[in-house]
Order: sequence, then structure tokens, then C-alpha cells
Amino acid sequence: MNRAATTAAVAVTLAAALTLTACGGSSGSQASADSKQTLSVWAMGTEGEKLADVAKVYEKANPNITVKVTPIGWDVAHQKLVAAAAAGKLPDVMQMGGSYMTEFADMGALEPVDTKTFQKKDFFPAGWQQGEYKGETYGVPWYVDTRVLFYRTDLAQKAGVDKAPATMAELQQAAEKYQEKADTKWGLSIQPGGLDTVQSFYQFLYSAGGEIVSKDGKAVANSPAAVKALENYGSYFKKGLSEKSVRPGYDVTKDFNNGSVPMFFGGPWIMGLIDENYPDLKGKWAVANVPADETSASMAGGSALTISADSEHKAAAEEFIKYLTDAKGQADWYKRTKDLPANVNAWETGELATDPNMQIWKTQMESAKVSPAQPKWTEITSKIDSAIEKVVQGKASAQSALDAAQGDIEGLVAK
Amino acid sequence: MSTTTPTPARSGAVKAPGGAPDGPGGRRRKRSMGKQNLAGWLFSTPFLVLFGVFMLFPIVATLLMSFTDFGQRHVRRPLEAEFVGFDNYVKLFGDEQFLKALFNTAYFVVVGVPLTIGLGLLVAILLNNGIDRARTFFRVGFYAPVVTTIVAVAIVWRFVLDPSDGLIAGLGAELGFTAPDFLGSETWAMPSLIAMAVWRNLGTVMVLMIAGLQAIPAEVREAARLDGANAWQELRRITVPLLRPTLLYTTVITTIGYLNVFEEPFVMTQGGPSDATLTVSLDMYKQGFSFFNMGYASAMAYVLFVVIMAITVLQLRLMKDNTK
Repeated sequence: MNRAATTAAVAVTLAAALTLTACGGSSGSQASADSKQTLSVWAMGTEGEKLADVAKVYEKANPNITVKVTPIGWDVAHQKLVAAAAAGKLPDVMQMGGSYMTEFADMGALEPVDTKTFQKKDFFPAGWQQGEYKGETYGVPWYVDTRVLFYRTDLAQKAGVDKAPATMAELQQAAEKYQEKADTKWGLSIQPGGLDTVQSFYQFLYSAGGEIVSKDGKAVANSPAAVKALENYGSYFKKGLSEKSVRPGYDVTKDFNNGSVPMFFGGPWIMGLIDENYPDLKGKWAVANVPADETSASMAGGSALTISADSEHKAAAEEFIKYLTDAKGQADWYKRTKDLPANVNAWETGELATDPNMQIWKTQMESAKVSPAQPKWTEITSKIDSAIEKVVQGKASAQSALDAAQGDIEGLVAK
Repeated sequence: MSTTTPTPARSGAVKAPGGAPDGPGGRRRKRSMGKQNLAGWLFSTPFLVLFGVFMLFPIVATLLMSFTDFGQRHVRRPLEAEFVGFDNYVKLFGDEQFLKALFNTAYFVVVGVPLTIGLGLLVAILLNNGIDRARTFFRVGFYAPVVTTIVAVAIVWRFVLDPSDGLIAGLGAELGFTAPDFLGSETWAMPSLIAMAVWRNLGTVMVLMIAGLQAIPAEVREAARLDGANAWQELRRITVPLLRPTLLYTTVITTIGYLNVFEEPFVMTQGGPSDATLTVSLDMYKQGFSFFNMGYASAMAYVLFVVIMAITVLQLRLMKDNTK
């Protein structure tokens, strides 16, 4: 009796364990685009909040489709997606950034994009490339994102900086002048260390012509160009032009407003943030392209829309994505969110075509560089993060820090 | 407790011989025993299922995983993960970051545990003897951090430690010294986190110690005083020895908690600067959930488990009450 009960308990446990692990992997029948169905969509952050409004408009035009948008915080997005992928419960349509797409494509969780319906030429190359992995494309670019230089024009006048720095040498001179003549506490705000410091470093690295992993998948973190870029990056800290320790959750716009930081690299959302929080600052700042070294190249970010490989509504999902990513849908999305449209045709009309600030974003986006498709990209960049930190704190030379990083990264690149 | 616990045991013992003679044969007794067993198993099913699903299964799965190269690409195809033997464990002890995390955790425990226990004892004694007025106020004051969420605590502490406009920096400016950049400096980041952890865990230790202090019979103290013991002698010869069980319990619990330290560095520094506050749990979290090297992270979990086990056994041995 005792043994029987033990067996029963074990059986119950095992059964529960199996149900936990063994679900998923069901590939049911496909519903056609015009049959009645519900599309589940996951979107992150601001996009997740605003997408529901667009979905309502879409439902009105397509009465057979119900779109269920679930907003997900960026902080939990990765974990939720991985858990859903493991359980085979991914939604039909998901918003994903470049590094996510590589990871999930590598897992086999994403449906390749039909490149006849969505054409490469309609999108910024840097937007499109983020979804490419092993010869297939897994996401349609939804919005793009890059970094440009934000600077205070009123303080620039005081400092005797008469135009936006165009080269890396001019950038450092400008930082020095701001500090000397305009009495700003710092010259330029760049991240000294911690997670994703690399996002601050990309501008220096790419402009110097360096890379972390080359297109053909070789680790090149200690190339002469990369070393030069890191030396340049480190020199801002050595000369006291940049702050060596920045607490987590640091908000640069606050210091930009009070004048202690006159220059920083920021994304498109910063413009809205400044307008909203510091209306008095209007007219006292501008954006400029990343100062050139060998070239002016910034990082490319943004998000794409992907379809789950397990989805039973692929046709309808494709229709919905088409609606969101054509020129009209993109212009509408820009009005709602100020996200930079990924579709280049959307840039031909309205504010996007006329506003000089927007033109800066456009030119920067055209030359922006995409992170290579590496499933372990987050881990690879974490090695660069610590190399930067070592140099900033003066514990290693750029060469030796990057040599160490190179060694680690060689073991992480996909073979 | 000691007077009440034997009662049910004794009544059970009485019942058993009483039940034996009225059964005509062994069979009936066996069956009723079986029924009782079944009822017992049925009653414990809710626990067994929950324990099995949420504890036993993950524990076993983690152990198995620690011998595989389970990573991101195996999420949808778990059976494709390859068995790699002790590779993960071998790699761990050549991993500079992990060794640093081990060192940091040891630092945290070696400094943090004695401080927490010492201060907890001090506060408990003060509250038990010295302070008569506003006793509740102080008790609540010391216990409040225990029940406050870490996120709120982190916001307050970050403000306190902020190098430019924080509380300590402000005080420093008034008094004419410059406060270091606590969370930004490799030397100060860990002590700052330890101070925060001590403050956060003091309350628990204090409550347990007060309970322990109140259990010390007044006669013993009286006798000591009559014999001419001063306050220090009373503390050393009476209070501490009689508090031994409480001290043992709080030390073991605090040590286990501190060996697992995760929240403080996670919310305050993310392990930085330059991994100065990277603890084993945080390293494990990063490997497991940021990079998805589940096999590797599982191996870390088991190393930490063995360390905790060893230290706890050692503490129980060393601090065992030998007088009984």
C-alpha cells in the first residue's frame, strides 16, 4: 500500500512535469486571411500602448479580424518571449529588436518573411538587415532608431563653438571649449561602464571604421581601428571631459537642461522628452550628425514585426503587418509615436520631408550600421562593456583591454 | 513548548496497545493501517504535488542541466542539448568573473554576518533593558526595513549615497569633508551594499534576539548580580551563553541569506563598477537569464548549493550547545 501510494505520488509529479514541458509544438491548420479570426499581438513599451489605437482602426476596416494587443514592458519582454517560445505559445505577431530576432530565428521560433510581399528596397537597409539571419529575413522593419549628437546652441555661442563639430577632433575641442569658456561641468556625456555601455561606444567604433564582429562572423574586437576608437573614448575621461561614474537610471536630459552636460549622443525619443519636460529649453539646442572619423556612422536600432512559426493565422498576420509598414501606415505611426518610420517612402511627405532636424536623422540612418546577426550578441557586447570600463577607470590600455575581450568573443561567435 | 509536545506522542502510544487486543486477527489491523496510510498520503497530496512541481522537478532538472550545454537554441528542442560531463564545472573554476563573484560573496558574508548579528544583539539588549519609553516606536523603526520592498529601499539609499546631492555628500559638505562616490567606486561599492543589507536585516535578528532574551530566567541574572557581576560580565557569562540557541539560529539563517545575496547588488549596482559587487547569485542570473547559458548557470547554482551546505553544517557543528 505504502509503495503504491509512493508510486502514485511519483506518477502525479511526473505527469505534472510532463505537461509543463511537453506542451507546444502543435502546428495546426492555417486560417485564410478573410476568415473570421483573432490575431494576438505583443508589442513593447510605448509601442505596446499606442498600437491598440491603430488596431481599432484596422478592425473597423477589416470586420472579420479582431486584433488583441498585449503591451509588454521592455524589462520583462525577453523573459516572457523565451518562456512563450519554450511552451510553443508565442503570439501571432511580435515586435522584436534586432538581437531578439537573431536569437529567436536561431531557435526556430520565427516564420521567414515573404520577400515578394515586403520588399527590401522600401526600407532603410539598416532596418532590413536587422532581420536577416542565415540567408532568410525574419522581420519587417517597423520603426528605426539611431543616435545623433545633441548639443546646446546657446552655450556653444558662449564657448565660441560656431558650428556643430563635424569631426571627432572637433568634438573633443568643442567639449574642452564648453568646459573652459561656458563653464559647463562636463564636456560630453558618454557612459563610463555597466550594461550596454557599448551603445555609447558604437558611435566612436563605427565612425573609426571598426567593428566587434565582422560580416563574415569573425571576432575583430582588437583591430587597430577599434583600439583607436577606444583610446579616443577613454581620453574624454582622462581629460575630465566626461563623468567617470554614472548611477544606474541616470537621466541625461536633466543635466542637459541645467547646463552641466552640453553634449550627448541620444535617440529620437529624446527630442520628445526635452520638448515635454523642459519647454524653456526650446531653441537652445540642436541635433547634428555623429562627428566623422573615417566616416560618420552611428548604430542602427529599432524594431521589426515578426510572425511566430507556430501561428495559425499567418495570412492575416501578414496583412496586418503590411498595413503597419506601408508608407501610409508608417506616416500615421510617426504622428502617433514620433518613432522614425522604417519605410523610406514615408519620409517623402509632410514634416518628415521638410523638418531639418528630421533630415539629420534620415542621413544618419542611411549610413547607420547594424549589429551582426549573432545569437550570443548580448554576451559578446558585455565583454566590450567591461573592456570600456577598464579603460575608463584607467586600469588597462585600450589595446590590452580589447585583446582580452577579443579572446572571450572568439569563443562566443557562432560557427 | 517542551511541556506540550510529548502529550500527543504519549496518547498515541497509549492508543496503539489499546487497539491491538480488540482486533481478532492481524488482517483487519493491517487493512486499517493501510487505510490510515492512504488517508495520510491523500492529505499530503496538495503539498506533494506543489513540492514536486515547483521544487523537486526544478531541482532535479537543474542538476541534469548542469551537465549539459543547454542554451538559448535548446529552448524549443530541450532534448537536443548535449551532455558535456563536468565541463561546466571545470570551466567555472577557470572563469575569472565567477571567481571574483565567489570572492565578493565571501566578502559580503564575512563582513556582513558578524555585523548584522552583533548589531542585532546590541539593539535587542538596549530595547530589552535600557530604553523604556517609546519602546514600540524603536521596535517598529528597526523592523520597518525588513518589511519594506527592496525597490523603495533602493530609491532611498541611492539618494542617501548619491555623490553630488545625496544625504551623506550633503552632510560632508557641511562638515568639510568630501564623501566618496559610494556606488561608483570599486572600494566603496561593496561596503555600501553591506551597510544597506545590515540595516535591512537587523530587524529580523532583533526580533528573534528579544524573544531569546525574554526567555532567560530572571533568577539567573539576579544570582549573577548578587555574586557581584558587572554589566559586561553579565553579558558575557550569562546573556550570550543562554542566548546560544537563538544566536545559532540567527547566524545560520543570516549566513544562508547573505550567501544568496542578489537583491541589493541587482537593484543598486547591477554588479558594477568593474564587477566589484557581482555576487554568485547575480552572476548566475546574468548567465542564465541575460545570456541564457542555462547549463552553465545551473552548474553555478550547484556550486553555491554545496558551499551553503558545507558552511551550514560547519556552523551547526561548531556552535552546537555542548552543555546538554
